[in-house]
Amino acid sequence: MKNLQLETGNQKLEEWMAKLKLAAYWAASCGGCDVAILDIHEKILDLAAAADIVFWPIAMDFKYSEVEAMPDGHIDVTLFNGAIRTSENEHLAHLLRAKSKTLVAFGSCAHIGGIPGLANLFTREEIFKRVYHEVPSMANPEKTEPEPKSTVAEGELTIPEFYNTVMTLDQVVDVDYYVPGCPPPPKQIWNVVQAIVSGKLPPKGAVIGASEKTQCDECPRKKQEKKITGFKRIATAQPDPDTCFLEQGFLCLGPVTRGGCDARCMTSGVPCRGCFGSPDGVVDMGAKAISAIASVIEAKDEAEVQRIIEQIPDTLRSFNRFGIPASLIRRKVL
Amino acid sequence: MTFEPKIVGILCNWCSYTGADLAGTSRIKYAPNVRVVRVMCSGRVDPTFILKAFADGADGVLVAGCHPGDCHYIEGNYKTIRRMALLKRMLADYGIEPERFRLEWVSAGEGDRWAQVVNSITEDVRKLGPAKIRPALRKKISAA
Amino acid sequence: MKRISIDPITRLEGHGKIDIFLADDGSVANAYFQVPELRGFEKFVEGMPIEEVPRVVSRICGV
Repeated sequence: MKNLQLETGNQKLEEWMAKLKLAAYWAASCGGCDVAILDIHEKILDLAAAADIVFWPIAMDFKYSEVEAMPDGHIDVTLFNGAIRTSENEHLAHLLRAKSKTLVAFGSCAHIGGIPGLANLFTREEIFKRVYHEVPSMANPEKTEPEPKSTVAEGELTIPEFYNTVMTLDQVVDVDYYVPGCPPPPKQIWNVVQAIVSGKLPPKGAVIGASEKTQCDECPRKKQEKKITGFKRIATAQPDPDTCFLEQGFLCLGPVTRGGCDARCMTSGVPCRGCFGSPDGVVDMGAKAISAIASVIEAKDEAEVQRIIEQIPDTLRSFNRFGIPASLIRRKVL
Repeated sequence: MTFEPKIVGILCNWCSYTGADLAGTSRIKYAPNVRVVRVMCSGRVDPTFILKAFADGADGVLVAGCHPGDCHYIEGNYKTIRRMALLKRMLADYGIEPERFRLEWVSAGEGDRWAQVVNSITEDVRKLGPAKIRPALRKKISAA
Repeated sequence: MKRISIDPITRLEGHGKIDIFLADDGSVANAYFQVPELRGFEKFVEGMPIEEVPRVVSRICGV
């Protein structure tokens, strides 16, 4: 945070120059993280008083050319949400990295890949085929597909390249901080804003706006002993609202997921699906989830184990829904 | 030039490592493709190890432990069964052929069996060719 | 032909860009609206358990 002592005699200029320059951008995103920032409600006025927002497509009309014209390091903090899916997403990641003193991977997608990361279980061809040719609502008799360059009567049009693989922000640029969550809870966003404005940030590379412990620490459900003899699905069985999901046989990633959201899913009647990513020290969330949940299954022979795990319908998309791009293997083998 | 698979073997100290050692002292000739890592119990094997081995370039991974009921720590290998069963499903989701990963029980006296297991997984992986995981992990993976 | 590029379009959810081509007299000869994004939900929910799908497709749009 700057502490400018200007002798301009112009108080308004001094105030303006002392304000933090903030940017927020979305790559392969749903807009939820941007809306979450707005969900700090009236505190947005405090944010506007402390910071000048210099780029935020959901809310303000700044263009890419204006960002390109900024000197390097001009922006104090950029909150970058969304995964890296296209060449445009990557270009903006590099651009905003250059123009920002501090770059924050904001939300699950920028942090660990997020829901768009599920596309890593398919190829570009499979996705294009489904979206542009197979879906019932598509009328595409000429079998057109997006091309990076198209020639029209007036000239050439370009759209970004769609990469084969979704990446996290830190797989393309250096990231200073991570704010997890899909989306990050507004309460935590306010904590992060305050930390940024006051300059009280931990060493670079840290996850901020979250707990150091797992979801179980904050989850109010009653926990006794975990001995899973079978798995249930909330599509076909009614969970007890006060007891630990895992103890009832409902798959819950709470034990391997970083806390910080006040167990918002478990208090809303659904088990945790891991949007905050894992705590420090975990290299692959899916692997850890398997390890933790396998530990508490009650079975000693291979046939019984198979019988029990067959009751879990989906593996990677249930054990690592939000973090496939950040996982060790990153995508289904091409 | 035939393809020589790189296979990582994670062996429990009490049964399988001793069994592998017996194969050696018995001067049994068998495929040299397994690089052995010794752990105290197969129950200590975190699925992360297998995924990391593949991510770092292994063509195949073998986890070996005591036969169920014979675990030196009584119940460790039951955890192994459960973890590896779920891991196999996750490997399938990642598109890694099932023949590239094996869980085998080898006792301290089964030197012959160890050699057989190694020869078998080496041939299975040789037929599949090199695993394509590591080349895909270049920092940027574009459509080209 | 003079070309005006609006990139990105703002204050709505989603990515978009507009290329406007002007004739010599300054009138609009043609305009192209382009959507430079795709995530592929239609494909990657295939095979998911039905009760998980609402929790995933809610991320199509966070607004």
